[in-house]
Amino acid sequence: MSITLRLRTPPGLRLDLRSVLPTLLSGLDAAAIEKLPLGLGRGTVPLAEYFDVSRQGDDAMLVLQGDLSRCDRIGWQMSGGDLLVEGTVGDWAGASMTAGHLHVQGAARDLAGCEMAGGELRVDGNVGNFAASAQPGSMDGMRGGVFTVRGSVGQRFADRMRRGTVFVHGDAGDFFASRLVAGTIAIAGRIGAHPGYGMRRGSLVFVGPAPALPDTTVPAIVGTPVIWQLLARSLQRQGGAFSGLAQRAVQRHLGDLAVGGRGEWLLAN
Amino acid sequence: MIQDGEIQNRMIRNGIVIDDTFAEAFPMKATRILITAHNMTWARHAAVSATGFATSVIACGCEAGIERELSPEETPDGRPGIAILLFAMSGKELAKQIERRMGQCVLTCPTTAMYAGIPVSPQPPEGALAGLGRPGAGPGEAVALGKNLRFFGDGWQNSKLIDGLRFWRVPVMDGEFVAQETTAITQAVGGGNLLLLARDTDSALAAAEAAVLAMRRVPNVVMPFPGGVVRSGSKVGSKYPALMASTNEAFCPTLYGIVPKTQLTAETACVMEIVIDGLTEADVSAAMRAGLDAGIALGAGSGLLRISAGNYGGKLGPFHFHLHQLMGVAS
Repeated sequence: MSITLRLRTPPGLRLDLRSVLPTLLSGLDAAAIEKLPLGLGRGTVPLAEYFDVSRQGDDAMLVLQGDLSRCDRIGWQMSGGDLLVEGTVGDWAGASMTAGHLHVQGAARDLAGCEMAGGELRVDGNVGNFAASAQPGSMDGMRGGVFTVRGSVGQRFADRMRRGTVFVHGDAGDFFASRLVAGTIAIAGRIGAHPGYGMRRGSLVFVGPAPALPDTTVPAIVGTPVIWQLLARSLQRQGGAFSGLAQRAVQRHLGDLAVGGRGEWLLAN
Repeated sequence: MIQDGEIQNRMIRNGIVIDDTFAEAFPMKATRILITAHNMTWARHAAVSATGFATSVIACGCEAGIERELSPEETPDGRPGIAILLFAMSGKELAKQIERRMGQCVLTCPTTAMYAGIPVSPQPPEGALAGLGRPGAGPGEAVALGKNLRFFGDGWQNSKLIDGLRFWRVPVMDGEFVAQETTAITQAVGGGNLLLLARDTDSALAAAEAAVLAMRRVPNVVMPFPGGVVRSGSKVGSKYPALMASTNEAFCPTLYGIVPKTQLTAETACVMEIVIDGLTEADVSAAMRAGLDAGIALGAGSGLLRISAGNYGGKLGPFHFHLHQLMGVAS
């Protein structure tokens, strides 16, 4: 019950798939889909140049198959529907999406979930740098929705993130959650240098190894058990390292004091 | 001894006469709020306070009561809690009452938190937070719960969006007060009632207490009067133009023999009324049936003589609860 686009061979240049969206393709027949223009380097090519198109039943789901690591902007500004990618993708996966479900079964390169404002983005592999962050020149990063990374994330993850919920099952690079404005980020693995650098508000939840706390954080003298229970009961549905979170003790630290110190670090032991 | 049965529209059960009449009820707006606290004692303090002075919309603004206690497994934050129901004649008035009562009685009460007890859209995922939304009412229109109370935080408040629902965190002297941003109001039914006519005060009170106890086991209803019982049953209007309700002299035993249309007999010395507000017509019916069964179970030997109901001729309220139909007998 889907539209399936199978990539025959990886393109020689970066291929822009911003127009390949489930809501856009659902109203088109196979011939019209094959004629869709795709950005290739500085020019455009019809979709059929690289993809085999097949339709089965209704158009509830769009499936992309093949090695899509040179394909960028998959799910760009996606506003609904289900998009499944059976492979690895390039840059900007799920960037600026507002609704719908995007599931990448492989890895994603840089800027995945960048400025996403709604919907659900799930990446089963690793993601590159600046994921869930802001586009160059923009003030705010991720603004809503749920972003789940089953692997590890690169540097500057969630830079300037303002709203939404993020799960990272693996490790994170340097400057994790830098300049965080608000939102919730839960991570199971280790983190690199300078985590929470310049974070103003928001919640960082560490369910794995306790991070080295920056000097610009202070321990909270009392806990916040009620909101922790609400949050932990939601987070633990992720399973894996997040399981049983509501039963764990939690330490709370506040920071970054350099910018007001109203963010919180929740260390679940 | 009167034999049980139906003779010329007279229904008799266990020696008690069930009048061939009906209770007349009205559409209302309602919400359920879950109050949790560090322990049940403080949850109860908050719930009792928040539902105080809420017996009748005539002068209280709303009618409210405690629906039931909640175990830690039934609440969103895993603490003991209490579900309260609030009813008003309009959504606007109910929203006003929610803000006042929650602000003055729950925010102020040590260790409490509060949540919507009727789902607001978007509904949380199945099983996301226990207790949010219970059977008996569908999703309703959202009104402020903690949305405006958050400003008590004077800028130090912040919020968490969890499973699509926003929860406000207001710093207070015992930690932080957590309140869901909105609750939902839904259509409801107010004014179901039973009149218990007894031989004396002791037997009337005993029957009323037994009936209220049985009704409290029915979900989605509250009996808003003190102890669930009202002794000042009223009729619409008064000889004094300023009053919209006044004593129902037809059921006043002190006026037996001098009022032209008494509803009492010479052996009826005391009458108690139980008023029921519920989320649906079926809920009110179930509560009334539970009350009827409890009264009947006492038997005529208890001093309970008759069970009746109050109405206004059927012209004011669209919901009519016929006692004989509730007992399973077609009128």
